[in-house]
Parts: sequence; structure tokens; C-alpha cells
Amino acid sequence: MHSISEELVKIVGPDNFSADDFVVEKYSRDFSLSPRGRPNFVVWPRSAEEIKRILELANKYKIPIVPVSSRVHFYGTAIPKQGGIVIDLTRMNRILEIDELNRRVRIEAGVTWKQLVEELRKRGLRVLMPLLPHSKRSVVTDFLEREVPTNTVYDYGEPLQSMEVVWPTGEIFRTGSASVPGYPDSPSRGANPAGPGIDFYRFLQGAQGTMGIVTWASLKIEYLPKIDKVFLAPVTDLSYIIEFLYRILRLRIGQECLLLNKLNLAIILSDSMDRDFEKLRTSLPPWTLILILSGFRRRPEEKIRYEEETLANIVKDEFREVQLSESLPGVLGAGKRLLKLLREPWPEETYWKHRYKGGCASVFFITKPVLAPKFISKTQEVAAEHGYLPEEIGMYIQPIEHNRACHLEFNFFYDPNDLNYVEKVRGLCRALYPILLNEGAFFTRPYGELAKVAYERAGSYTSVLRRLKKIFDPNNVMNPGNLCF
Amino acid sequence: MPKQTVSLDVAKLENFIYDMSRCIKCKGCTWVDHIYMPGIKFSTRCPSATRYLFDSYGAYGKMRIGLALAEGKIQYNDKLLHILYACTLCGACDVGCKRNLDLEIELTLEALRVKAVKDGKAPLTQHRRVAQNIMAQHNSLGASQEKRRNWLPQEIKLSQKAEVLYFAGCSASYHNPEIAQATVKILDAAGVPFTLLEDEWCCGNILYSIGMIDEARKIARRNIEEVRKNGAGILLTSCAECYRMWKVDYPKMLNIATADLGFKVLHLTEYVDELINKGLLKLTKPVSLRLTYHDACSLSRLSEPWIPWQGERGLWGVTNPPIPRRRGTNGVYENPRRILQSIPGVEFVEMIRKRENAFCCGAGRGVKEAFPDFAAWAAEERLKEFKEVGAEVLVVACPWCKNNFSEVIEAKGEKIKVFDISEIILEAIATEARGGK
Amino acid sequence: MTFPEEVYSILEDIVGHEYISADPVICEGYRAGPAGYECGLGYERVMTRVPGCVIMPRTTEEVQKIVKVCNRYKIPYVPYSTGFYGARSHPHAENALLIDLKRMNDLEIDEKHLYAVVGPGVIYSQLQEEAMKRGMYIVIGGGGSQCSAIANMIGDGWSPLSYRIGLPHRRILGAELVLPDGELLRLGSLALQDDPFWGEGIGPDLRGLLRGYTGHRGFLGIVTKMAIKLLPFQPEKLEPTGVSPNTALQLPENRVKWINFTMPSFESIKKAMYEIAKAEIGAAVTRVPLFWRIIARASSKEEFWELWSKENEETVNAFFVLRVLLIGFTSEKQLEYEERVLMDIVKELGGEPRRTRPTDESWFKNADSAGMWLMCGGYVSVDYVIETIEHATAQCKNFAQLKRSYTPPLMPDYADPGWFQSFELGHQGYSEFLIYWDPDEDTTRVDHFYLETSKENIRKRFYTALLSSHQPLYLTGPAYGPNYHKWLLEIKKEFDPNFVCHPPFPLSHDFFVEQVEWMKPLKDWESPNLNVILPKEIAARIKTSSQNNEGEKTETS
Repeated sequence: MHSISEELVKIVGPDNFSADDFVVEKYSRDFSLSPRGRPNFVVWPRSAEEIKRILELANKYKIPIVPVSSRVHFYGTAIPKQGGIVIDLTRMNRILEIDELNRRVRIEAGVTWKQLVEELRKRGLRVLMPLLPHSKRSVVTDFLEREVPTNTVYDYGEPLQSMEVVWPTGEIFRTGSASVPGYPDSPSRGANPAGPGIDFYRFLQGAQGTMGIVTWASLKIEYLPKIDKVFLAPVTDLSYIIEFLYRILRLRIGQECLLLNKLNLAIILSDSMDRDFEKLRTSLPPWTLILILSGFRRRPEEKIRYEEETLANIVKDEFREVQLSESLPGVLGAGKRLLKLLREPWPEETYWKHRYKGGCASVFFITKPVLAPKFISKTQEVAAEHGYLPEEIGMYIQPIEHNRACHLEFNFFYDPNDLNYVEKVRGLCRALYPILLNEGAFFTRPYGELAKVAYERAGSYTSVLRRLKKIFDPNNVMNPGNLCF
Repeated sequence: MPKQTVSLDVAKLENFIYDMSRCIKCKGCTWVDHIYMPGIKFSTRCPSATRYLFDSYGAYGKMRIGLALAEGKIQYNDKLLHILYACTLCGACDVGCKRNLDLEIELTLEALRVKAVKDGKAPLTQHRRVAQNIMAQHNSLGASQEKRRNWLPQEIKLSQKAEVLYFAGCSASYHNPEIAQATVKILDAAGVPFTLLEDEWCCGNILYSIGMIDEARKIARRNIEEVRKNGAGILLTSCAECYRMWKVDYPKMLNIATADLGFKVLHLTEYVDELINKGLLKLTKPVSLRLTYHDACSLSRLSEPWIPWQGERGLWGVTNPPIPRRRGTNGVYENPRRILQSIPGVEFVEMIRKRENAFCCGAGRGVKEAFPDFAAWAAEERLKEFKEVGAEVLVVACPWCKNNFSEVIEAKGEKIKVFDISEIILEAIATEARGGK
Repeated sequence: MTFPEEVYSILEDIVGHEYISADPVICEGYRAGPAGYECGLGYERVMTRVPGCVIMPRTTEEVQKIVKVCNRYKIPYVPYSTGFYGARSHPHAENALLIDLKRMNDLEIDEKHLYAVVGPGVIYSQLQEEAMKRGMYIVIGGGGSQCSAIANMIGDGWSPLSYRIGLPHRRILGAELVLPDGELLRLGSLALQDDPFWGEGIGPDLRGLLRGYTGHRGFLGIVTKMAIKLLPFQPEKLEPTGVSPNTALQLPENRVKWINFTMPSFESIKKAMYEIAKAEIGAAVTRVPLFWRIIARASSKEEFWELWSKENEETVNAFFVLRVLLIGFTSEKQLEYEERVLMDIVKELGGEPRRTRPTDESWFKNADSAGMWLMCGGYVSVDYVIETIEHATAQCKNFAQLKRSYTPPLMPDYADPGWFQSFELGHQGYSEFLIYWDPDEDTTRVDHFYLETSKENIRKRFYTALLSSHQPLYLTGPAYGPNYHKWLLEIKKEFDPNFVCHPPFPLSHDFFVEQVEWMKPLKDWESPNLNVILPKEIAARIKTSSQNNEGEKTETS
């Protein structure tokens, strides 16, 4: 091992290397319930070249590599399972280009949400965001992991375009139209994610760092709307509101559109958990629909007007029970606050999911919106069986693309210091996975223990994935112990 | 490449080497025009390709096979002959191709049959008898020539000389007298004097269709001469196949234009439409039927007048003078519809595949004789569509269509009624108006 | 060489005797050329073969069985949906099995969740109509309504409608892929259940195997089922009107409207595209080259040439027309709003609306793509690139220059900078280069030009659609990625160890260049011994028979 540290120091320099227990220990855990695992070394490379050489070293000695793009992890993916070298990309955090003409931004893997959103906002730009991302998380990683955007209206979805990746074998490669010789000194700007030859970008999505290390990526950006109008609706009948969403989202009404249950919304909206949380939690309706209408650069009021008109007609003629308004009873300025919240990363030090009890285990999957109520009652049933009160479950429904599907998320809150409760939650999650799978939940992001269950079920998919992985990572050095590897 | 001298003469397959070698396999010849595509069902208009499935049965296959034949790269076998002849020459491929590409598909298919006969590989055994019948007894059924006029109702009087000459055709004369009878009663009700040919011979449709062009040409010459002698200005027929033969294939075989025949060729639906316009015929008796109309191929897609052409083809395939294209645009589509929709009480619904997109009944051009199963299959396919549109009555404009549909309906025990349009028209003429002037 | 009898009888047992044939006449009907994409060019004449046997399966299970038999008996096979793609979708190996998928034509629609599930025998034309009946629509790829929806979705798949709807890659949901060795891979939600409503992978997304920027042309398995996203449209019917050949959809102008604009310059067209995109309006935005105008006006090939020969470089380069499609998805008011915004933009840039017919025959139902062959008889799009609008315009202009020295034999187009358009609301731009030639003329220089475009793209650092199966892999491979070809070949080797799935793809153009005299002068890159990369018995079936470049005689039965 001694020669390895020497070689690593040679590659990244002494300031970007550590084998200190104190440092290394920090990488052994994250916000999830995953068991601990320490790396042997941590390095902070500054370039793809350095990463290349590190990977070559790793292959030579068959040492695992765990790429880490930020210091905030929720699902255990960045915890070393077999020791090895953590490649911490947080120092590769340059915003390389803001290409306003083509509405594209190119950022290194270490760029955080806070960094990017602030920089874009200065120019009146934005990137489509998932729900309240952690300000210190890597934007590239969140999109690689397919965090679902809150905006349902763009048909072309998927902000990710081309990328630079260092394959597990150490080869530096660019995907999509960035693959042209000499990029970025080329007429090609990297706006096409596909190819060359085969869709490499797909193998990197959802890969939890097992297929290669992405050093930078181009993303689509949009202009910030000129005007926004936030509509909120209290929801008691979830099926009813879901039918309403099938109706209106298909008409391309709205930008951000989501459903949060009272617990999650209370956590999000509370100024202070001590003061207003309990009150909010009691007074909020079971669910709240948040729908934002926006007007863009030209004639913004007119855009909002025609959308609002159609929306009003549908409510009047077909969905009388829906009470859309710009305010939420009992919550002052909810609309304005939510608008700000939804366009920025979570502003506080303590992540919203940790505000309530300190810890949170999330179970989420993709399904058809009409099935959400079924999954909810099933989950509540199983939760109760495991001694977890159903009213303590945070829930979030994110419609996707005109409501053709949705991301359905359950949050189970726990005090990390209450070990019994932690076990209860762990057991609950474990029990839920096969039950939900049987009901048709489609888990596209198999973190932790879920991976085993999902991959066992998906026979042919798993075997082909393993065959593919062998091609890119013949020595299985990239983050082993995750997914089905 | 030097310019080539080309003509539209189907007796020489070389004239169509260009067309056979420019097929891009877009299958516009098989699919319903995409603008009119009805969806996943009823999406094709080529019975051969739809039935036999192999590409080789669609025009794209036939063009390639034809080219290989022309270049001597392939030998005849049973499969090749089946491919050439299990096809009603319905013209869907021709019209489909000409929506975008202007290749002479129909003429190529005709030329391939002429070549098959010339090469001694055709006529098929199944066609020999019919050919014999036509050549020996002047009718396709092999029936007695003397009995050809037996259908004529007593009360209908012929004129000695008249502008209109009614050509009954073999089917109406022997097998579907109701069509001929209805036709002449219509003329009578409209006060239109007409003659019949003294010695009416088969138009020669089957002979021409199976590639026996020399024999067909002889009949054409004879028949045209008879009409000229008769002095009629209009040759009127109720059979789409006869119509096409007289109007298109006779001039084609003689290398003259339709306009140079010396007389007009009209189908009953064209003529009746004209009579109604002029106020000479009134369809006033209600006919309370929910009916639909099947476009006969020879009356629709294939019916545009013939213009002979000869010229040069050079760079880019440009022809000089430009080939006058017959694309099926001006087929007899509207006349029958106007007639039917003008009849009080009629509830008219369209078939899903209509006009130039119609799906052939399956009987024509030698198919019924040689491949009766295929003909029955095609009719059955078309009847599925009929059921889909919920009509009570299927109206046709050709005895071949009528017979083929009727046979399948009977065999399957279906409760569908088929009438020739002449019968419907007659039904709509007030009783007083009928019965002679 | 006839198709092996013992293999034939095994295959016959799989599908039934009605759905298989090795008859030389049946096989001749499947010949690629002499017309279609690239046909008449050297590649088609030299590389394509008539199949030795044609089989038509109905189910995924049958396809799997067939593929396994081919692997066991080392029979090269080619998946074939419609055959429209031209030379590259036809057998290149001697005596291959052509798997004609037209019987796999089931279609189901989940209207509530906006997707259709189809087999490879379903064409876009059918799917679009079924979608439109239900208030939805799809993008019909430039290839046309006659393309198999699946084949196009994994091959190309864009049109001006991609301005709003985007890349086909994202519109593929759950799918079934029969791998080259016969194993079945279920993608997307099909990996875990039977509803293909979602396409992402469990973790890494194996849809990546289906295609690259463009597709594999069938060398990495057979897709036997695919769920495809349908997009919300608007409720009014687009009524079909007219009689062949002039059929078109009548547009309900309160909800669907094309508007043509005359702009003062090329630059202003570009600017307009950017502004329209930034305003987030429109459903299609494209430049109209003068060439199209002439095609639309001409009612025949001869008339086209009469009109076209009156034009010249000056008239072509002074023709600045922008065509924009507006759809009132939400309501009529949306269309009115977007039209106001559009007029604002055009006015700012000095443009004027022109009278525009309220019809569509080219894009919603793309019924006229076959017309591309009308003018000259030979046509292919020699590149079709999605990148940025800047890239599109630069590439267009560059390409026009390159074409000059190859005209003739290419059709004179007076240095037209081509047609380009805006995709994904301006995040991307699209350029396509169409070339036309007379297949009866000497087309050697067209073969040269085709390869030159690849070299030019590399030199000038443009992205290109023609990678992988389209150009020599060992030319483009080292340049793009770099070395994408290494991964592609590894993947190929892993999943097709017997190299029986559409050999010699992706090396077909490499083989072509190696085998013909007139291409040798252009070969200035390294490639390994191709006959070593492929198994010997397969490589032997690709070799052309000596100098016979016109295709061989068909075997008699």
C-alpha cells in the first residue's frame, strides 16, 4: 500500500492526497442507513488527466475507486464497500461555459446547485430543478442519477447533453457531439447527448459511479420566467386531483406542478420547526397541489392569461371540487415562498428532509399516477405493521411529462440516535421493496438494499448489465458493491 | 449515358427498365395514401401484398423480379408465374407510386405478362380455357353466341341508329342480366334511344390482362371497326372492365389516343350523371337504404384516357417530350357518388378505403379464373370493411365485383346485399317514368 | 450456394411453411437495389446480396428461436422491417437469412398515459393516425410515413416537429430486444413487469444499446416490441383532402397553422430561430430552401427541371424563407398568443409573412418523402446532424462548398446552403445535406464524395450522423470520442460472438473501401485486417466475387 500512496501523491500532489484516519473516516458514512465503509485513501484531482492516471493505477493494483462529487449523499452510493481510493471531485468545480445563445451550460462535476443557480440567476437563466436539491450537492450527479424535475411541461426533458467521462480503464472520452476532435475548440458545442456510435450517456445514467467518472457535462438551461403565478389547491381526495392533473397537464398548462402531503409541506414551509411546524402540520390539508403558471420573455401576461382561462374553464365545467387559489388558508404568503423555494436549492444548512427528526429514509419509484393511491394505502398498511405511524410518512408525487407517469416518494423520518427506531425504519424499507415491486412499482434508482431485490427480479437485465460492465470495467474497480456489481 | 428511345408500348419490356430500376421500396404502392391512412386496420390497398406477405408479391418485389427477368438473371418457375398472375392489376400500386415517383408500375406489370406469354410460359393452364372461349365463342364463359342477346327485355325497343350504343359485355349478357336490363330500362326512362352491336363479341379483357396481346389486339381492331360501322358517338357500358378495355387498352394496343377512337366511351355512372344534370332523368322515388359504394378499379384508378407516347429519356431520367402521366386523379369517383347521394331516402356512407385508395374486390384480370381462393379472400377482406362502416347494402359498378362479393357472401352465409348501381338507379326512377315512351 | 436444407427445415418448423421461402424468385424480390437510399452507388452494387432465404416470424419467441438457430449453424441474418432504408438494411453476406418482421404488427395504445406499444411491422403512418384519433401525435421521422416506427426510432427519428418534441432517444419507453445471440433483453419497466410504460433502466440504462446518435442498422439485435411516447396534440381533426397525387391534410387554422415568412437575409433567419426559441413558442421552425419551393410547384420531373434550370446561385442565395408551425395545444388562444409573439419577432428582424396554404403533406403525415427520388432517380442524405443552430449553419455552408467540386455527377444545386432548422426549442439546431445523382451515370465520384464528407467533418470538427455503420469505422473511430469504435466493437463482440447479426456491420464501409479499386486512393487511415476481426467463415461470405461489381447472378432453383 505504501507504493500506492507514493504514486497517488505523484499524480495529485501532497495537498490533494490524504490517508489520515480523521479525513478518511468522514467518507465512511452519509445520511443514509447504509453500513459504514472506509476508503484507504482520498484524493482530490483537478483534471481528467489526473483521474486517468489514478484509474490506471487502480487497475494495475486492482484497487476499488469510489468517485464522489460532493460531500452530501443520501443513499449510500459513495460509501466505499471494499475500501480503496475515494476520488473526490469537489475541487473540480468550475463553471466552464455559459452559452446563452444555445441555452447551454457546461459545468464540472464538482459544481454545486448553489453555485450554479446563483451564477445563472445573474443572467436571468435557470436550469430545471428537482425538488429542493441540497445546495451543496453536485448538479451533474443529480441529473446523472435522474432526479425528477418539478417542471412537467417540456417535451424534450432530460437536461443532460454531452459529457466528458474517464472510463474505468482510464481512457478519457467525450460523449455525444462533444466527441468531435478538438472539442471545445470546434463548431460543435456539445448540444447533442447521443452517440458517437452507441449511446454511452445512457450507461452512465443511474450508474452510481460504477461505469466511469464524469468530469464535466453540458446541460440545457432556460430563461427565468418574467412573471409567475402560483396556484395552490387543498386536496382531500387524491384520486380526484390526479384526474384533474391528467386533464390539465395534457394541455401543457403550467411549469412546476407537484403534490406534497401535509407532513412534507409542513416541514418545507415551516420557518422554524420549533415554532410553526406543529401548527402547520395540523392546519394543512392532507395534500396540497402546487401549480405555477409562468410568462416568458415576450408578452408574458398574455401567456399566463390564456393558460389561466383554460384552467378556469376546466375547473368550472369539469372539476368543481378543485379550489385553486393563489393562497393557502392558514399559511401567509405560501405561494410566494414556494415559488422562491422551488427555483432555488434548499437554503438552509439542515436539509429539509432532516429538519423533522434528523434522519430520513426515502423509498421512491416511477409509476402511473392513477396507481398512486393504491401504493399509498399499501405503504401505509405495511408501515403500520412495522410500528411506523402512517401519519408520520412524508409523501411527494411528482407528475412527469404531461402526467404520463409520476415519481412517487415516501419519506420515513427517524432520529438517528434512536437505534430501535432506526431498525424499525430499516425493517420497514426492507419489507416494502418486494411488496411494492409486486404491485408494479418501477424502481429505476436501486440504492442500497433495494438493488439486490430489484436485480434478482430483473433476470435478463441484470445479466446483460453485468456483461456490459465487464467491457468498461474488466477489473471491477469502479465503486464495487453497488447495483448488481 | 446516351439518350434512350422509349415508348409506352407494353409489348417491349425494355421500355420499362427505367421504371423497374427506380423503385425505392417506399411501398407507397401497398399502403393506403398516408394522408388518408385510416389507422392500424385497413391500411393497405394491394391485395397481393396483403395476402401473400412476401415483399416479392408487392410491386417493389415485382419490379425487382421483372428487372432480373429482363436482364436474363433469373429463370421462370411456378413461383414467378404465381407472383405475376396472382394480381388483379388493380392499379393501386400505379397510383400509389405516382403520388410521389411517377413510375409506370401498371404498364410494367402488363408488359411482364406479355413477356411471359411471348416466352411461352403463359397463359397459365387455368387461363387457357377462358382464352379459348373468347377466341372461339367470343365470350369468356364459353356460352352460346346466339344466346348473347337473350337478356334484352321484350318491352325495350332498339333503335336502328342512335348516338348511344350499349355494350352489354359477357358478364351482363350471360351471368348478370339484371345489370343489362336495368341499364336499358334507365335509358328508356330517360328517353334515350340506343343500339346494340349486331354481333357483340367479348371485349377481350381476359386476353389482354393475361398478356395475350396479339389476340387481344385482333379483337380490339374488330370491335372498334364494328362500332365505327355502327356510327354511334357514345359506347356505353355498365361493366368497369369493359369500360377500361375500350377506353384505355384498345387505344393502348393500337398506339392511338382515346380521343382518336372515333367515339366516346362512357360508363353508365358517367352518362346517368350527365342525364341528371341535363334534367333528362329524375331520381325521385325514395330508396330507404343505408348504402356504401365500392370503387371498381377499372372505373376509378385505371380509367383515365390513354395518350400514346414515344420519345427520348436522358439525364436525370427526363423524358422528351414529357410522358403524359395517368395518375388516377381524374377517375370516375364523383359521378356515382353524386348519383347515389341525390336519391331521396338514401343514407350514404363511405367505405374506409375509397376512391383511389379502394381495396380491389379480387376478381379481375384473370385472378378469379386462376386463383379463386385469392379472389374470395380479397372480397372477404373488403367485406370486413363494409361491416365496419355499418352499411346495409354494398353498391358496385361492375358485374365482376358484384359476382365475387355475392359468392363470398353466400358461402359465408352473410346477411349483406350487393347491388349494381344500375339496379339502384332504376329503383329510384318513378314507376311512371319507366316503361317506355 | 443454396441455403442449407437442414437449417431450412428447422426454421420451417418454427414459423410454418407459409412463412418461409428459399425460392430464388422470392429472394430476388428482396434485392436492395437498384433504387432506394444509396442504391446505384458503388456501395450498394458491391456490398449487397440477395438473401438465401426469407422468413417471417410473428412473435418474439419465434424471433429468438430463429436467431438461436442462426447462431448454432453460423447463418448470417438480417432484421428487416420494411426494407426502405436501402442498401444498409439488406444482407451483405452470401446466402444470408433475411428476417422480415412485417407480421409483427400489433398496436396497442394507452391513451391516458400517452404511449403506444408496437411491433416492428407497424409503420408511422398507422401509428400517427391512431394517435391523432385520440388527440395525440408523434414525430414521423424524415424517412417518411412508410418507415417502421421501431426501426426509425432506433435509427434516426426526427423531423421539424422535433423542435417541440425533441430527440427520439427520449421517446423510447419499455422495449424488448432479442440480442444477437438470441437471448431476450427486456428494457425499461419491462425489466420488472409487463407494462412497458417507462423506459429508464434499473440503474444504468441499457437503452444505450439500441442506438447511437443514429442507429446500428440492425447489427446489435432485433427489437421485437417497443412502447413509444405519444405527445398531447389538440382536439381538431386534420382533414385529409384531395385526390392522388395532390393529397394533403387540411389544417384547422385556429389550432394548427404554418406560416411562411420572407426574411431579409440568411443571418436574420438564424436570428429569428434563436428568438423564437427563446420565446418558447412554436411547434416547428425551419428554413425553406428554394429547392423545396420548386419541388412543391412542379407537378412532374420534367416540370421540375424546367423550373430549376431557370435558377442560379444568385436566386438560390437570395431566397430567405422561414417556415414556422404554430399549434394551439392549450387552446385557440395559445395559437393567437404565439402568433402575436412570432409577428413581433419577425417584424423586429425585417421579415414579412407570406400567404401560406392551410395544408400539410410533409410533416404531420410525411406522405411525400418518397418524392426525394423524383428529380434524379438517385438520392441520399449524406449527413443529418443535430447540434446547435450555429453548427448547422456553419456545416451547411461548408458542405455546399465541398459539393461544388463533385457537381457533376451530383445534381447542380447552385451552392444552396441547404435546409436547417431548430430543435428542442432552440437548444439544438439541425442540418441535413441531401444529394442527388443519376444512377445511370458514372457514380464513382459520388462514392468519393460520400467518403470525403466524413473526412471533412473530421477535419472541420463537425459532429455527424454518419458514424458506425455508415462510414469506415476505422476512419471515424479514432477521431470521435476518441476511439468510440473500440467500445463499439467490444460490445459487438460480447453480444454477437459468432458475428452472425448483419455482418459485417459495423465494418461494412471498411470492407467496401478495402475491396474496390476506385476507393483505394482515398484510403489514408489505418485499419487492421478485417478478415481477422470477423470469424473466417463469415468474412468469406462478405468478399465480393473478384471484380464483379454489378452483383452476381441469382441461383436457379
